[in-house]
Amino acid sequence: MQRVQENITIEDLKQGSDLLFKRIYEENRDKFINFAKKYNLPQDDIIDVYQDAYIIFYNNVMQGKIEEFTSSISTYLFSIGKYLIFDKMKKNNKTINPDFDLSIIREKEELVDENFDLDQEDLTTEQVLLKTHFGTLGKKCQELLTLFYYRGFTIKDIIETSEYTSENVVKSAKSRCMKTLKERINSNQQ
Amino acid sequence: MNNQELLYLYFSNSLTPEQETLFQSLLATDVAFKAEFEYEKNLQKAIKSSETDRLKSKLQDVEQNLNKQDKSIFNYRNFAIAASIVLLMGWFGYNTFFSTNYNSLYDSNFSEYPNTVYPITRSDDSNSLEREAFVAYETKNYQIAIEKFDALTESDKQEYVNFYKAQAYLGLEDTNNAKALFIQILTEDTSFVAEANWYLALIAIKEKDKTQAIAYLENLVSNYNYNKNKAQELIDKLN
Repeated sequence: MQRVQENITIEDLKQGSDLLFKRIYEENRDKFINFAKKYNLPQDDIIDVYQDAYIIFYNNVMQGKIEEFTSSISTYLFSIGKYLIFDKMKKNNKTINPDFDLSIIREKEELVDENFDLDQEDLTTEQVLLKTHFGTLGKKCQELLTLFYYRGFTIKDIIETSEYTSENVVKSAKSRCMKTLKERINSNQQ
Repeated sequence: MNNQELLYLYFSNSLTPEQETLFQSLLATDVAFKAEFEYEKNLQKAIKSSETDRLKSKLQDVEQNLNKQDKSIFNYRNFAIAASIVLLMGWFGYNTFFSTNYNSLYDSNFSEYPNTVYPITRSDDSNSLEREAFVAYETKNYQIAIEKFDALTESDKQEYVNFYKAQAYLGLEDTNNAKALFIQILTEDTSFVAEANWYLALIAIKEKDKTQAIAYLENLVSNYNYNKNKAQELIDKLN
């Protein structure tokens, strides 16, 4: 098993513990702020970028996009953070100083891991609709669909980590949730 | 293999190369399949976005707490507010405890027993099942903790494992399984007997079984020191 600083493993993180989520955030925060200072961003923006970078990192871990850490967590965070800062500056059409040539910025190659999903696109109208109605589903449905689509769990994984007892129970629960979701969207559109 | 199965495998990244070929050809030829795939793909994005929102608001809370810690300046106005809250709570508490309110007796006395047996240190690089179980327990992933405790072989199973497994069940509000394990601890007379007594009393309170609760508490008070005062207070409240 690949280890990183302080012995945190991908498996530890993947357990979805709130405590670890918070601890890693706090432990890398000051380092990130120091790193980002050179881009002359206001402190609030730096925190905002740090949070977004951290969430992108976390989403990638939870979605199984990285199988093992090839560098320390802070390296991942700096690398994503840098991309986000440059992206922000490009969008605002702002440079750090007049000599800074934005065209030299390579995008994804900057990242430590090319499987990384930065996912910066806005949601489409259909996705917004799905998101809204997903939020009205019961807790169990939300959890089950999150395991399927966000965590990428197989049915077997789901049986192992939840109270569902068999493949058929999982499948029928899932199709009930999907049906409710579709019905809610349809009734809303009528 | 039906189309739904193929979609399951796609979303869990587990298509074999052959299934991948079949998947791609269905996408190109079967309109209904393609529509379902796109629907689910959109749902995936939507769920990810909800997760992102949830994580963002969690981090904003963390950030707020960090700022609060920085600015923990004593402030008379806050003190006045806090004092009024304490007064209100006191009044509320008096009213609730005037009659026996089993749920609040349970809630106010229940606290999860800390991990005192398996130190998890950052420098510890053993990655035993037991460590994983206690990491899960400490991080309140009780279901996982139970599974890991269960997976321990008999020879690795320290005598305190049942106690923590019972705690994990309590964390999941599964009092039946917790109760069975605590009773086992009492009969086998292993470590944590006094503690098991205490938690059995709390479970009895939760089940509104006053006689049973008092029996456990009296056993605790007369034979052990653990939570002795609290136990006596509870007996007085129950009587």
